[in-house]
Amino acid sequence: MQDYTEFIDEILVSETSIQQRVRELGEQISRDYAGEMLLVVCVLRGGITFAADLTRQISLPHELDCMSLSSYGMGNYASSGNVRVNLDLNVNIEGRNVLLVEDMIDSGRTLAHVLAMLRTRGPKSLKVCILLDKKERREVPITCDYIGFDVPDKYIFGYGIDIDEHFRHLPFIASADLSKYRKPV
Amino acid sequence: MQNYKDILAEVLIDEKTLKNRVRDLGQQISRDYIGEELLLICILRGGVVFLVDLMRHISVPHGVDFMAIASYGVGARSSTGNMRLTLDLQTNIEGKNVLLVEDIVDSGRTISQVLQMLGTRHPRSLKVCALLDKASRREVEVPIDYRGFDIADKFVFGYGLDLDELYRNLPFVGVVDSKRYKSPARFLSAGEPE
Repeated sequence: MQDYTEFIDEILVSETSIQQRVRELGEQISRDYAGEMLLVVCVLRGGITFAADLTRQISLPHELDCMSLSSYGMGNYASSGNVRVNLDLNVNIEGRNVLLVEDMIDSGRTLAHVLAMLRTRGPKSLKVCILLDKKERREVPITCDYIGFDVPDKYIFGYGIDIDEHFRHLPFIASADLSKYRKPV
Repeated sequence: MQNYKDILAEVLIDEKTLKNRVRDLGQQISRDYIGEELLLICILRGGVVFLVDLMRHISVPHGVDFMAIASYGVGARSSTGNMRLTLDLQTNIEGKNVLLVEDIVDSGRTISQVLQMLGTRHPRSLKVCALLDKASRREVEVPIDYRGFDIADKFVFGYGLDLDELYRNLPFVGVVDSKRYKSPARFLSAGEPE
């Protein structure tokens, strides 16, 4: 396994910047839902670090649930195919305020599918909180209610986002120089 | 919805103590697996906060994967029956060093079944890291290789552990004042799985 310092291109968002922005988002969400009940939904696995940190910055009482998704057919679930739910929510969201927490949005296709599916269950409200927005890649119009950072269309890792299942633990968000990266055997 | 302050009997482990201990555990794991690769497995949902903080202190290369479990029949997952996997691992663990990360071990029944099941898949090694150990409640022996804190048999919440699905977000581990805590009406009927 290569050390990330061998293929890192640049740090896009530092640990301090992430922590400060996550705190701001948590405070904003706490204000927006004041007096309401909230269900925070984390999409596995990339969103886990962001969700675990964000939940601790939300001061009002809220629940936390998780979903696991993949795509039908070949390749990554960022493709145009339908979304398959590997793990559905424990909670019935009918009549609930739901906030979907994701690490990154690029084409928006997966997110659009998930939102459409969740809407059929009749939540009271359904909003989206995204840490990283790759706007250049958008193919489907999606409104994100809370956005951490706009990022360029680069290969990104760290803070929950993996490259070949590694480097999720890094406390910052970085771009990779793929010409220097070797796939693990 | 009750504010947690209304139902908190005491802070059992404060935020700073948790942070320090999680860092120590991460450093110890990094030393023990030096030169190796590791897969961290977290059982949803209680262990998520601990896992995310722990992995940031583990410097050896590691992957992260998740399992979700329910029980057959009614009641919480701590019941004595067989467990049912509702989300299996995405990773094939054959030949891998696996570390199961759990928020709390009490009766040990669930984790014991999970370990047996994972053992049938022939990992290279299989160890357990538990943040909280309620040893007085143990009914089945569980080898805990990394232990955050020994705790007494009290009703605890916070730092990933819920109280009827709430309060997982608190940065400390607290003890519930059960005289003052009222379960929300929707939890008074049959419990949800997990």
